[in-house]
Amino acid sequence: MTTIVLENNDYKKEIKQKTAKPLLWIGLVSIVMFFAGLTSAVIVSKGTAVWESIQIPSAFAISTVFILLSSLTFYLGENSLKNNNIARAKIFILATLILGLLFSITQYLAWTELYKNGVVWAGSESSAAGSYFYALTALHLLHLLGGLISLLVVSFKSMKERYNEENLLGVQLSSTYWHFLTALWVYLYLFLIFIA
Amino acid sequence: MSATHHHHEEQDFLFKYIFSQDHKMISKQFLITGFLMGFIGMVMSTLFRLQLGFPGESFWAIDFFLGSWAENGVMAPDKYLALVTMHGTIMVFFLLTAGLSGTFSNLLIPLQIGARDMASGFLNMLSYWFFFVSSVIMLISLGVEGGAASAGWTIYPPLSALPQAIPGSGLGMTLWLVAMAIFIASSLLGSLNYIVTILNLRTKGMTMTRLPLTIWAFLVTAILGVLSFPVLLSAALLLIFDRSFGTSFYLSDIYIGGQVLEHSGGSPILFEHLFWFLGHPEVYIVLLPALGITSEIVSTMSRKPIFGYRAMVTSILAIAFLSVIVWGHHMFVTGMNPFLGAVFTFTTLLIAIPSAVKVFNYITTLWKGNIIFSPAMLFSIGLVSTFISGGVTGLILGDSALDINIHDTYFVVGHFHIVMGLSAIFGMFAGVYHWFPKMFGRMMNNTLGFFHFWITIVCAYGVFFPMHFLGLAGVPRRYYTNSEFPLFENMIDINELVTWFAIVAAFAQLLFVFNFFYSALRGPRSSQNPWRANSLEWTAPVEHIHGNWPGEIPEVHRWAYDYSKVDENGEYISGEDFISQVVPLGPNEKDGGH
Amino acid sequence: MVALVAIVAVLLIVISAVQTLKIAELWAINKGKVIYEVTQKQNKVQALLMLVFLVAYFAFFAWQVWKWGDLMLPVSASEHGVVTDRLLNITYAFIIPVFVITHIFLFWFAYKYAYNPNRKATFFSHSNKLELVWTIIPSIALTVLILFGLSSWNEIMTPVDSEKEHVLIEVQAQQFSWSARYAGADGKLGRAGVEFIEGVNAMGVDIKDKNSKDDKIVRGEIHLPVGIPVQFVFRSIDVIHSAYMPHFRAQMNCVPGVKTQFNFVPTITTEEMKKITNNEDFNYILLCNKICGAAHYNMQMDIIVESKEDYEKWLAEQKQFAEN
Repeated sequence: MTTIVLENNDYKKEIKQKTAKPLLWIGLVSIVMFFAGLTSAVIVSKGTAVWESIQIPSAFAISTVFILLSSLTFYLGENSLKNNNIARAKIFILATLILGLLFSITQYLAWTELYKNGVVWAGSESSAAGSYFYALTALHLLHLLGGLISLLVVSFKSMKERYNEENLLGVQLSSTYWHFLTALWVYLYLFLIFIA
Repeated sequence: MSATHHHHEEQDFLFKYIFSQDHKMISKQFLITGFLMGFIGMVMSTLFRLQLGFPGESFWAIDFFLGSWAENGVMAPDKYLALVTMHGTIMVFFLLTAGLSGTFSNLLIPLQIGARDMASGFLNMLSYWFFFVSSVIMLISLGVEGGAASAGWTIYPPLSALPQAIPGSGLGMTLWLVAMAIFIASSLLGSLNYIVTILNLRTKGMTMTRLPLTIWAFLVTAILGVLSFPVLLSAALLLIFDRSFGTSFYLSDIYIGGQVLEHSGGSPILFEHLFWFLGHPEVYIVLLPALGITSEIVSTMSRKPIFGYRAMVTSILAIAFLSVIVWGHHMFVTGMNPFLGAVFTFTTLLIAIPSAVKVFNYITTLWKGNIIFSPAMLFSIGLVSTFISGGVTGLILGDSALDINIHDTYFVVGHFHIVMGLSAIFGMFAGVYHWFPKMFGRMMNNTLGFFHFWITIVCAYGVFFPMHFLGLAGVPRRYYTNSEFPLFENMIDINELVTWFAIVAAFAQLLFVFNFFYSALRGPRSSQNPWRANSLEWTAPVEHIHGNWPGEIPEVHRWAYDYSKVDENGEYISGEDFISQVVPLGPNEKDGGH
Repeated sequence: MVALVAIVAVLLIVISAVQTLKIAELWAINKGKVIYEVTQKQNKVQALLMLVFLVAYFAFFAWQVWKWGDLMLPVSASEHGVVTDRLLNITYAFIIPVFVITHIFLFWFAYKYAYNPNRKATFFSHSNKLELVWTIIPSIALTVLILFGLSSWNEIMTPVDSEKEHVLIEVQAQQFSWSARYAGADGKLGRAGVEFIEGVNAMGVDIKDKNSKDDKIVRGEIHLPVGIPVQFVFRSIDVIHSAYMPHFRAQMNCVPGVKTQFNFVPTITTEEMKKITNNEDFNYILLCNKICGAAHYNMQMDIIVESKEDYEKWLAEQKQFAEN
C-alpha cells in the first residue's frame, strides 16, 4: 500500500481549539435533558399519586450559598488568569475547590437532616416525593463530582503555573461546567421548594 | 534499529485497528460490531418464527441454539418472550442505531464536509468502546440464570421490575439496564461529536445549504439523540432504583407471589411517558440516516439532482420536530386523558405530510433520470417502497379511535417492521454497497448484490405484509402461540407462510455476508470515484490516510447534486454527466440547482 | 464428529464459492470488462424486474385479501365499533389508492428511465408549484381524517352517564386470569385494594364497605345484556395487562395502582353472532393484549351477550359477596 505523507500533521490541536467548547455546550444540553426528564417525572408523579409534603432541610440553603460563592471565586480566578495575575488566580481557584467540597458536605448534612425528619429514600416507609428529593440531589452531586475532578486538575495545573492569558482552554471548560452546575443547583433548589 | 522498528509496528497495529481515533477505522468497527449483533438478532427472530409457524414442534435448530432454554427442541414460553425482547433491543439499538448511525456518520461526516477528522477523536473512540462493552454485556445477559430480559424491548414496569413476575426480570434485566446505560453514553458521545463536527469543521465553501442530504440527516439524528437519550437514561435510572433499592417511582398496589409488596405511590404510566419520549424519536433516529443515505444514492444513480433539496431538508427538520411531540400515540389505551389522546392523534397524523413530501420527491428524482441499478440503488428504491407500504398504515395506527382495536396486535408489528425496520436496514445495506469502496478500497460483487436484494425484498414483504391481516383478525403480538384460542385456529396457515419466508430471508443474508468478506479481502480494487459522484468524499484518495486529504482540504464551490447539468446547447457543462463539488462555478452558472 | 463434518462442509462451500467468484471475475476482466460496473444487460434485467416486482407485489396483496379476507373480525358487535369500522374503511379508501399509485409511479419510472447512454437525464431540481401541491393535498386529506377520527374518539371515550340505565362491571387482571365483579342491586362497586386480598377474597374487596355486600364476583365468563351500555372499570393487581375484546372493538390497559375505564353498548348476541359467522362454537372473548409474563398467550375469559331477560336470570343466580 502506498503511504502518503501528510504535510500538516498538527491539525488535531487546531481541531481541539475549535471544537472543545461546542462539545461541552452540547454535552450540557444532554445533561439539561436528563434533568428535564426527571423534572417531568416529578410533575407527572405529583399529579397522579398521593404527594407527601416535605420540610426542606436548612442545609440546602447553606449549600446554595456555598455553590454561588464558588462560582464567583471561579469567575474571579479565571479573570485573574486573563490579566496574567497568576498568584491571585491560584488563590481563587483553590477557594473554588474548597467551596465545592463544602457544598458536597452540606449536601450530605441535608440528607441526614431529611432522614431525621422521617423522609427515607426507599422501602415501605418511603414515598415517591421523598425518593425524588434524594434522587435529584444525589444525581446533581454525581455531576458535581465530575466538576470537582476537573477542578482538581485545574488547581494542580495552576499551582504548576501551566496557565496564562494565552493558554486558558482547560480553565474555561472547567469553569463553564462549574457555572452550569451552579445554575442547575439553583434550579433544582427552587424546584424542590416548589414540590415540597 | 530493527527491534525498535518492530516495537513501533506492534504499537501501530494496536492504535490503527483497536484503539484507533481515526473516524474511518471507527466507522468500520461500528459496522462490523453492528452487523454481528444484527446477525444474532436475526437468528433469534428465525427461531421464534419456528415456534410461531409450528407451535410446539421440536426443532434441531432450536435445540442447537437455545440449549437449556428449550427442552427437547421446544422453547419455553418465557424464553420465547426473552427472545422477542432481545431481538427487539438488539435490532433497534445495536444494529439500527449504533450500527447505522455509528458507521455512516463516522465515515461520511468528515469526508463529505471536508474535515480532517471528527471534533474529538478520543471521544469518538470512547463512543465505539462503550458500544462494544454494552454489546458484550447485552450478550452476556443471554446466558445468566433466569434468562435474558423478557419484558419486551419497551421494558414496562412492573413486569420488568419484578423477578417474581417473569424470571428474565432478575439478573437478565439488571444487565439489560446496565448495558443500555452504557449504550446511551456511547450514543451521546457519538452525537456530540457529529453535531460539533458538522457545525464547526466544514471546509471552505461548504455552507449549510451545500451540505449533502446525508449530512443533514446525520445532524438532525444526532440532535434528536442528544435530546431524547438522556430522558431514557433518567427513566432507566428510576427503574434501577425501584428494582434494586426499593423505591416506588413506578410501582404501586402490587400483589404477587402471595404477598403485597411494600411499594406504594408510584405510577407505571410514568415510565411509559419517559420511555416513549425517547422511544418515538428513536424511530426517527433509526430512520433518518437511512433516508439521508438513500437520498444521496438515488440522486447519484439516477444521474439527476435530488428533487426539492430544500423541501427535503425542511421535511427532515419537520419530522424531527414532530417526532418529539407524538410519543403519546403509543399510549392511547393506557387510560390517558382523552383530550391528550386527541392532541397526540393530531400531531401524529401531521408527520404524514413531510413524509409524503419526501416520497414524492424521491419519485420525482427518478422521473426522466438515467438510472443505473447498482445494488445500492436497488436497496434505495426498496426503501422508498417500504417507506410507503409501512407509512400508510401509520395513518390507521396514529388515529386514536382506530388504534383502540389494533393496538398491540400484529398489525403494529407489520407496520413498524416495514416502515422502520425494513426501511432502515435497506438504507444500511444501500450505504454499505455504495460506500464499500470508500471503506475498503475495493468493490462488492454486483451479481450477488442483485440476488441479495431481490430475495430480501420479496421475503421481507412475505414476512411482514401478512401480519397486517393477523392484526386485523385480532391476533395480539408477543403470544407464544395462537393455538390456545379457537378464534385464531385458522391463522396457523398465515403463520406458517410467514415463517417460511423468514427462513429464506435469513439464509439470503448469507449472500451478503459472503459478498462482504470476499470483497473486503479479495474484491477488485476500486477507482477513486467509482460511481462518478459529486460529493467530496470521492475526491479523497482511495488509500486511507490520517487527515483524509494529502495537502490542503479541497474548497467547495457548488452543491452536491449537479448531475447531468447542461448548458444552453444541451451539452454537459463539464463534458460528463457529473460535476464534482470542488469544481468552481462557470461564469453564467448558478448554484443549488437554479 | 457430525460437527466436524459440518464445519469441513461449510469451509469447502465457502472456499469453492470464493474460487468460483474469483474465476468469474478474472474471466470478465479478460474480456475487457470493468467488472464492478453494472453492464447494460444487467441494468436492463434489473429494470424489467422492477416491473415484475410491481405486478407481483400487487398480486400478492390481492391474493392475501382474497385468501384471508374471511378470517378478519366479523361485523362489530358494539355500537361505537360500527363507527370505527366506518372510519377504518374511509382510511382504507384513502391509503390504498395512495399505496397503489405511488408504487406504480415508483417502479414504472424505475423501469422506464433505466440507463441509456444515448439519453441525458433531465436536470430538474425543484419546482415550487409541484412541492406546494403535494404538501397541500395530503394536508387536506389528513384534516378530514383527523376531524373524523377525533370526533369518534371523543364519543368513545366519554363514560356512560351514571343516571342512565347501565351495567357496571369491574374487571380485575392478574397473572394469568381475569375476574369480574358486578355492581349488584345498588349499582355501586365496593372499595377494593390489594391490601384486602386474603383467601377466597381474591379480588381484594373491602368487606367493611357497605357497597360491597351485594357485589357479585364471577370467574370464567361474564354475561352482558344486549343493547344496554356497559361501563367497565379495569384494575390489575400485579403487572400491566390489557383487556382486549376484539369483537367489540374495545381495549383498555389494566394498570396496577390505577383504575382505567372503557364503555360500549353490545349490539349482537352470542347466538346471533354464531349465525353471522356461521360458526356453532363461536364465543366472544376477552384476552390479554399487553405482555404480562410466561403465560401471556393464554389469559382469556369468555363473554356472553344475551337478551336482557336471560342476563338478569343469570345474574340472579350469582352469589352476592356477603354470602361468601
